[in-house]
Amino acid sequence: MMNDETENFEQKLRRQSLRQIPGEWRAEILAAAEGAKGCRHSSPVARHWLSTLNHQLSTFFWPHPKAWAGLAAVWIFIFALNFSMRDKTALVAEKVLPPSPEVVAELRQQKLLFAELIGSRDAGDADRSKSYVPRPRSERVEVLTA
Amino acid sequence: MPRATEIERLYDKHAQPLFAFLLNFTRDEADTRDLLQEIFVKLAREPKLLVGVREERAFLIRLAHNAAIDLIRRRGTCERTKENFTAEAISIFAPANDPDEKVFREELAIALGELPEEQRAVVHLKLWGEMTFEEIAAALDIPPNTAASRYRYALDKLRGRLRPLYEEMKKAE
Repeated sequence: MMNDETENFEQKLRRQSLRQIPGEWRAEILAAAEGAKGCRHSSPVARHWLSTLNHQLSTFFWPHPKAWAGLAAVWIFIFALNFSMRDKTALVAEKVLPPSPEVVAELRQQKLLFAELIGSRDAGDADRSKSYVPRPRSERVEVLTA
Repeated sequence: MPRATEIERLYDKHAQPLFAFLLNFTRDEADTRDLLQEIFVKLAREPKLLVGVREERAFLIRLAHNAAIDLIRRRGTCERTKENFTAEAISIFAPANDPDEKVFREELAIALGELPEEQRAVVHLKLWGEMTFEEIAAALDIPPNTAASRYRYALDKLRGRLRPLYEEMKKAE
């Protein structure tokens, strides 16, 4: 029933006759085509290649131009963010450059002064590294009893 | 290499269906003329295009479709608004003597104008180009299933849009 209705409707549409092409177009269009035969471009191969490339790209990008634009915007944002982060890293790197010899000398003096204040016998100990050197157990006991 | 006579033969054989297809697709007579001329100028310049082509009609419809899409893209959104405005005025159908038929054709032309271009192209080729879904698929560079589904969607929309008028006409018959 539904199919019959659809078919009837399709038949009804098919029966509608279409407009005829204006008769005067024939001479004009054929004259333009004939004229174009004589003035071909100097490099039809290159033109054809560019036209094909243009068509391919257009076909690829056309279905969702807004989506492609959005994607491009996201990439630009990522590049901008990356660029700004890189700048900050450089600044931080500049800040942690090794201190000058004067500063080192000043720090050493302060350490010595501090060692004297807390009553250390050997101020040079303050400079010693605190690295742990494992010893045999017997020696450890000696240290404790000494 | 097609001579002038070959171009004439192509024009006489295919210009009418190309005209109807382009007019339905672009909804603009001036654009249709420009596109038609563009196609025949291209065929005259590049006669190799038709070498080895089995289905001339499908090939030319494909050329016409690509040219029409390029034209619409070149125009952009502003022009498309104008195009939609004119879509209501243009008719692809011949004038009818019967008043009921005249109203039906006018309404059908408007309803076709409201369809998306890709559906309109399939409907046109199926109904008035008398092409199969395989031929339409080849001409429009889409899978046959897509052509069939676009046709069904479009036909449903047209039927929904024209149902009151169509039923009224059936009763009158």
